[in-house]
Amino acid sequence: MPESKHKYFRITKEVGSIPLKVTGLLAFLLLWELLVTIFGNARTLIPSPSQIMIVFYTEIRSGIWHRIVFSSFTNYIVGVSAGSLLGIACGVIVALHARIGHMTEYLVRLLRPIPPIAWIPIAIIFLGITPISASFIISIGVFWVNFFATHSAIRGVGSELIDVAVVFGHNTFFYKFTKVILPAALPSILTGIKTGLGQGWMTVVAAELFGIPGMGQRMVEAAGLLETRVVFVYMFSIALLYGVSDTLFTFIQGRLLQWNR
Amino acid sequence: MEQVEVNPIVSIKDIRYSVFNQGIQYEILRDISISIAKGEIIVLLGSSGVGKTTLLRIISQLIIPSHGSVIFNTQAQKNQRLYGYVFQEPRLLPWRRVLKNVLFGLEEMPLKKKDKLKRAEEVLSMVKLTGLEHRWPYQLSGGQMQRVSIARALVVHPKILLMDEPFSSLDVLTRAQLQNNLLEIQNSTGTSIFFVTHDISEAIMLADRIFILQGSPAVVADEIQIDLPHPRSKTSKSFINYSLKIHQQFS
Repeated sequence: MPESKHKYFRITKEVGSIPLKVTGLLAFLLLWELLVTIFGNARTLIPSPSQIMIVFYTEIRSGIWHRIVFSSFTNYIVGVSAGSLLGIACGVIVALHARIGHMTEYLVRLLRPIPPIAWIPIAIIFLGITPISASFIISIGVFWVNFFATHSAIRGVGSELIDVAVVFGHNTFFYKFTKVILPAALPSILTGIKTGLGQGWMTVVAAELFGIPGMGQRMVEAAGLLETRVVFVYMFSIALLYGVSDTLFTFIQGRLLQWNR
Repeated sequence: MEQVEVNPIVSIKDIRYSVFNQGIQYEILRDISISIAKGEIIVLLGSSGVGKTTLLRIISQLIIPSHGSVIFNTQAQKNQRLYGYVFQEPRLLPWRRVLKNVLFGLEEMPLKKKDKLKRAEEVLSMVKLTGLEHRWPYQLSGGQMQRVSIARALVVHPKILLMDEPFSSLDVLTRAQLQNNLLEIQNSTGTSIFFVTHDISEAIMLADRIFILQGSPAVVADEIQIDLPHPRSKTSKSFINYSLKIHQQFS
């Protein structure tokens, strides 16, 4: 089958390029290490990669890292889950019902441009300095990403596929929705979820800056003490967690969309 | 002919269809009446945009005519549908493998799973796709996709097969293969076929009767009985005569 051959070449190309990618990263880290060694970090406050690694190790050994990452991760999961589910559900409803679509159009235009961070004072007033506040802030950005992805995906399902259901006697809305509309919209919905997962990590730090336990709070505390090594540890922790969650989701997405080549 | 009028399986009577655009009425079909007998192949021939697909959509109840009726003088038995529909493009559901696409029409029928599978295997064998059950649609050629689409329509054991220019996007060789395959299937199942095309050769190759749809609004301009035995040869004198006659009609 030619498609298998194509896939083989694609994988081979991917695997073949890994040494280059690793070399690029290592070269950057080496250059960084070298520059810090030459110029010293007392004046610039920029730690070398090896210094960051040592602090990283200390944070893990003391148990602080686990506790802080767990707090942030909980905020993130709650926020992302709520934002994704609500965004998808609202996107579906608004896309399927023209009247609701019209009724909410100006409301969406009004609320969409407000950045998640601008909701922080409102969250503090109504929800207090609690993890729920952080989850709320995270969920706002994720909600809009999923809302628009789902809305356009559902609206994009052509009537030609729905006609297929009708001519084969599947006339109920439930059948057409579950067996045709939803699967047809799935690739774009999953792309929305994936973008939302990234968006969530971007907001998590901002949401914790005002004192809710988590990486954001730890970074602000460390920055106050000019402990840039700790700040870098958590910056890279976020990158690492984002990389893991993105890779996992890409894998799930690939499994769910085997048919979409 | 006489039997056709006395005992048709489907009667299309005085169909008119209009659409409104910016308050102006555009009449697309006017007074279309066609009767289809059991086991008959009717070909609706007309140029692109004349209203052939519209008529097919009216028969399949995807749209409602402005006037007239489509009467099925037969009832679907249990686990059967009155019609199976083959679209111009295969319209397979890309998230379903071949087998699941074929089973689509059976999903709400109260059949046992093994009976559904048996039916699907039978029709896949009819369209010569045995062995490709577990492929995704993207792994099929255009001709194979259209075969799956035919199998999906046949699996519901339809009284009549409605086909909307199903081979128009295929190359000449694949199209000839599928025409022969369709005739074999019709021969073995006895299903009536209502076939829409703009290809005169294809019409003569398949039809028992050809209805020529022409004009704006479209009317049945002529009805031609094709008295040629199968297999038909495009180079035979009588085939060419029919072809000339139809060409004349269009000119």
